[in-house]
Order: sequence, then C-alpha cells, then structure tokens
Amino acid sequence: MSSNNDMDNFIALSAVLTGFNANILRPFLDPVDIKSEYLQVFFTRIAEESGDPKLATNILAKFAQLNGQTNPKLNDQQIGEEMLAPANGANFVLACRKLIFMWYSGAWPTIIPASATAPETTVSEIISAKSYTCGLVWQVMQSHPMGDSNFRYGYWAKAPIPLSDYTGN
Amino acid sequence: MHGQWTDNKDREPQGTLDQQVRSQPPLKHRYHARLALIGLAACSLSASLPAQEASQAEHAGAAADSLPQLSSTIPLEVTSTVNPPTLESLQHDFDVFSWQSFIALNWPATDDGQPNNNMVIGQDPGGPVVWQGWRESRSIFLPGGAQPPAWGDNSSVPEACQSVDPSSIPPGTIYLTQVGKTPDVLDESEEPFETGPLIDQNGQYTRFEILTNEAMFNYVRDNQLYSKAGQQTFDKDNEVGFPSSATATNTVGSIMLKAAWIKMGGNYDETKYHTSYALVYNNPAEQPGVTADCSLEKVGLVGFHIAHKTKKEPQWVWSTFEHVANVPTQGEAPQLSAYNFYNASCTDCPVNEPPARPWNPANPHTPPSQIERVIPISADTRALNDLYHRALTAAEPDSVWVNYELVSTQWPTNAESKTDPTGVPAPSFLANTTLETYIQGQVRQTSSSCMACHNNASDTTGKPSDFTYLLQRAQ
Repeated sequence: MSSNNDMDNFIALSAVLTGFNANILRPFLDPVDIKSEYLQVFFTRIAEESGDPKLATNILAKFAQLNGQTNPKLNDQQIGEEMLAPANGANFVLACRKLIFMWYSGAWPTIIPASATAPETTVSEIISAKSYTCGLVWQVMQSHPMGDSNFRYGYWAKAPIPLSDYTGN
Repeated sequence: MHGQWTDNKDREPQGTLDQQVRSQPPLKHRYHARLALIGLAACSLSASLPAQEASQAEHAGAAADSLPQLSSTIPLEVTSTVNPPTLESLQHDFDVFSWQSFIALNWPATDDGQPNNNMVIGQDPGGPVVWQGWRESRSIFLPGGAQPPAWGDNSSVPEACQSVDPSSIPPGTIYLTQVGKTPDVLDESEEPFETGPLIDQNGQYTRFEILTNEAMFNYVRDNQLYSKAGQQTFDKDNEVGFPSSATATNTVGSIMLKAAWIKMGGNYDETKYHTSYALVYNNPAEQPGVTADCSLEKVGLVGFHIAHKTKKEPQWVWSTFEHVANVPTQGEAPQLSAYNFYNASCTDCPVNEPPARPWNPANPHTPPSQIERVIPISADTRALNDLYHRALTAAEPDSVWVNYELVSTQWPTNAESKTDPTGVPAPSFLANTTLETYIQGQVRQTSSSCMACHNNASDTTGKPSDFTYLLQRAQ
C-alpha cells in the first residue's frame, strides 16, 4: 500500500528521472490523475517482477534520503546518477528505468532475455486508455498521440510552442 | 502554470460577492420577505464577505436554515470559497455557479424579456422565463446570409409555419414578450453529429433548440458573422472571440443555451414540467423523406445546457441540467416508477442505442428509446441539488423547478495552459442524457466532453470560432 508520503517521493523521483517539472507530473488541480494509476502499477509490478515486495518502498526511501541530504545538497543530476548507480543492484536500477519508460510511454515494459535464437527484447503493454494519451513522449515531441489531440483545427500550420512549456523546465 | 487557481486572490471573491449582494433586486412578492432572510452561509460564502454583510448573512442564514439565496441576477464569475482551493471545492463552487445561473435564467420575465422582480422563480408556471426571449439559432443564420433583425425586433411569423392559423396561437405565450408575436420554431429532431434522435415514452421525437443571449447575438450581428461572406471578411484580420462576462464592469458576456423539449400529453403530467407553446416543425432538410409540416404543440423542458464565457474561463463554463425523471443511472435500481426515456418493464430493450433508420419525426409513433445515465451524478452535486430544491420549495411551494437537477459543471482547471487549449477540463467527461444521449462514457475523443468537443469548433472558413459551432450555420 502506498501513502501520501509515497506519492510525494514518487513524483519528486519521477521529476528527477524524466526531466519534467513535478508540477507537470502532478498539476495543482489534476482531474486526469494519471499519477495515482502509475504509483499503483509501480508498486505492484515491481514487487511481482523482482520478487521483492519492499523494493519499490526502498527505492522511494533511497530517493528521499538523497533528496533530503543537506551537506552537500545534491542537485537533480546528481540524485539521478545516484539512483541509477549499479551499486544499488540490478533490480533497483531496472525498476528506475521502468519508471522512466512508464512515464514516457504510458506503458509498462517487460524485458525478454536473449536466447540462442533472438536478442534481448523489450515488449510493453499500454496501462490504460488514459495512460496512452498521457505519455510524456508526446509532449517531448510537442505533438499528440494518434487519434487524440486537443490542438485546434489548423494547428499544423503553426509552429509548435516551446518545449519548455511542455516540460515545465 | 496553474496560476489561475493557485492564488485565491485572483478569483476576486470579495468583488464578486459584493456585487451579487448589492445587485439584489427589490423584493415585493409575498415570499420576498422570507427570501430576503435566506442567507449565503450554505456554501461558506460569508467567509469572503465584508464583515458587516457577513454578519447579516450569518444571522439570516441561521434564521432560514442556511438555504441558498435565489436571485434573478446572472452570476458573472465563479467565486472560490476555499483557500487554497481543491479540485473538489472548486467543483462545488462551479456547481453553485450553475445553479445560480439556472435560477436567474428561469426567472419569470416581463414583457420586454427582463427578469420580473415582482415575482420569484416558479411563481408563474408556464409563463415566460428570461432565456425564452433569447435568439434561437434559426433566427440568426437566415437564408442567403441575410442580416438578422436586431435584438428585440424579431416579430415575424416564421415562414415555415405560415400554415398555422395565427389566431390559434394562444395569447400570452412566453414568446409574446421578447421575440414577438409567435413562438420560435422547434425544428431540430437530432442530436449533435447525427448520433440519432431521442424518442420519449409517448413515441415522439425530442426536439432541440440553441439560443444565444444579447451579448453573443450582437457580436455575431455587429461583425456580420451571420453569413459566410461576412465570416470571410472578418477572418482576414481577426479571430472570433466572443465577449466575456466581467465583474469589473458588471457586464454579462456571452451565454449560449441548448434546450431539449418533449411534447406534453400521454404519459406525461404537464404540471411536473416547465412548459411552453411552440411551433414544432418537421424539417425536410434534416432527414430524407421528411415532409415539411408545422404544428402548434405544448412542450415540456427535459434538458438544458448553459455555456457561459467568463473572464477567468475563456473555455466557457458548461452547466447541464435535466428533468429528474429523465432516466435511471446505469447499474442502479430505478428510483422512480416512470421515466421520460426509460421503461423499467422493458427488459430486452436495447440500452442507449439510437432508433433504427429511417428517422422521421413525423411518424405518429416510434418505439421509445431506452436510456440510462452512464456517469452517475456525484454525491456532492446531488446534495447541492437537494439544497436548491429546498430553497425553490421555500420560495414557491409548487415550484416546477424542483423537478430539475444539475448533472454537473465542466470547467477549465488550467485555463491559461499553453499546451492544452481546452484548459484541462474537470470533470473530463460530461453528458446530458437528452442532448448527448448516445455518446456518454469515458473514452477521450469519443465520449461527450463539452470543452474537448467545442474546442474543435470552427466557422465556415475553417478558423476557430471560440467554442461554438453555431457559426457553421451561416449561409
């Protein structure tokens, strides 16, 4: 089970790993609320796939420790490097990478190991109809998912707005 | 980002409330003394009032069981009552705005279409109410792109209904006030995007109309947007932008309405509906095989959209009301013995499906639609409906308006968003079972969302038309 504190750390960690501002990932008023769906999926799938029911909690705790460090104070780049450091363990790092994948694609990735006849591959499943339209990849592209656009008729004739308006940074 | 709602000071709560309190009309009716005592405390509005007024409101609220005030004044802006606001608190505030708007628009009207402040809402059943003096779309976008008559100067009998004997039109109908000597024509028997007609329990087609208020109408007329040629000229140097309501100048901006009506009689007790006489026209242009015909009918209101452009909500505020007996909610046991668009005894009727083609509103009887509400009305909105129903009953014990309920209000949570011109609406989906019957649900770009849909609206040149499709009716 997750808590409000988990959500705070989940959003802050996600902001560090995705490069998006936390206010974009968790708007002040959020009728879409994809973050709650993602947090639930993150806890559930990481526990299932790693076999460690505490791994997701440990990841958020590690982030909270790094984020709260004051001497020296770490910037986002440094925190991100610490979170993805091999010393944290393969499952830990892979879980962080899957978190990035989830935010960008709206899908959850599964890695199929290489076999004698095929290289390692990653397959993914869209988490929900809502997550499909919420993938950050569309915002980085300054575009929209196929079949879903809030742009007004004729938008294609105008230059896209700056990337910084999408990322919040 | 999100600047609109992060700072509550930006909502101008005191100015808005001040204005609402000061602008209350003089009360003369027998219920007015009681109404004057009805406070604002129900929605914590007194927290934003100046001290003296707040004290009076608290006192009055305590004396009158905290019922909301009923006013003929159209609210100009939404007042945030919680600081810092939340999604839930703002939804409530917007729902209050919707109810205040509904009451003001359905206030009894004088002969010139203004609110009759010698009456209270519900006091004059079947009488004219304010919005029924507004301009129906067919009287704005005329054949050949002709200039429509000025506001208040639309008195001719519609050409399509010349066959109706003028002497048979009951005197004193609501339309004798603003529009002229005849009712407008109800000729729309389909819902948007040709999703299909809605058939009532008498086997009759539900009829629809779209109206604009004076500010919106004048913008169309003054800029010659009523014709294709006028739109082409206008669009060369401009983009359509209807005037917004503004508290600073105390001006009502653009308001657009959609109304759904059913013919009275048969299974329907007309004392439970707001009724009107109307010329009902079968329009051969709508469906192949339909023969033009016009008849005078008594109709009852079953659906009501209000779209209001305010300064803080350039995506407009979208309020939708329904008759309480329209439909049951999907997955819940029917609460009423009879509905307008649902028959509990029909267990094999296809639910939420349009009738088979061909569609012809002239048919003497079409199998009734079997409709359920897909998204339930929220608990908070239901509680607010109960509160306003009690206030309406307190004002007029036999008020027909207690038979109408707010479904919800859609509003922009981030009106200033640069990446989303819809302003990230809340709730994400909203449908009226009489107006978006067959597109209820929660699938983006498919299910009904007022703002997501109207964001795509353009005029006949293809340029954005500020959240209204009406301009596409220009000839």
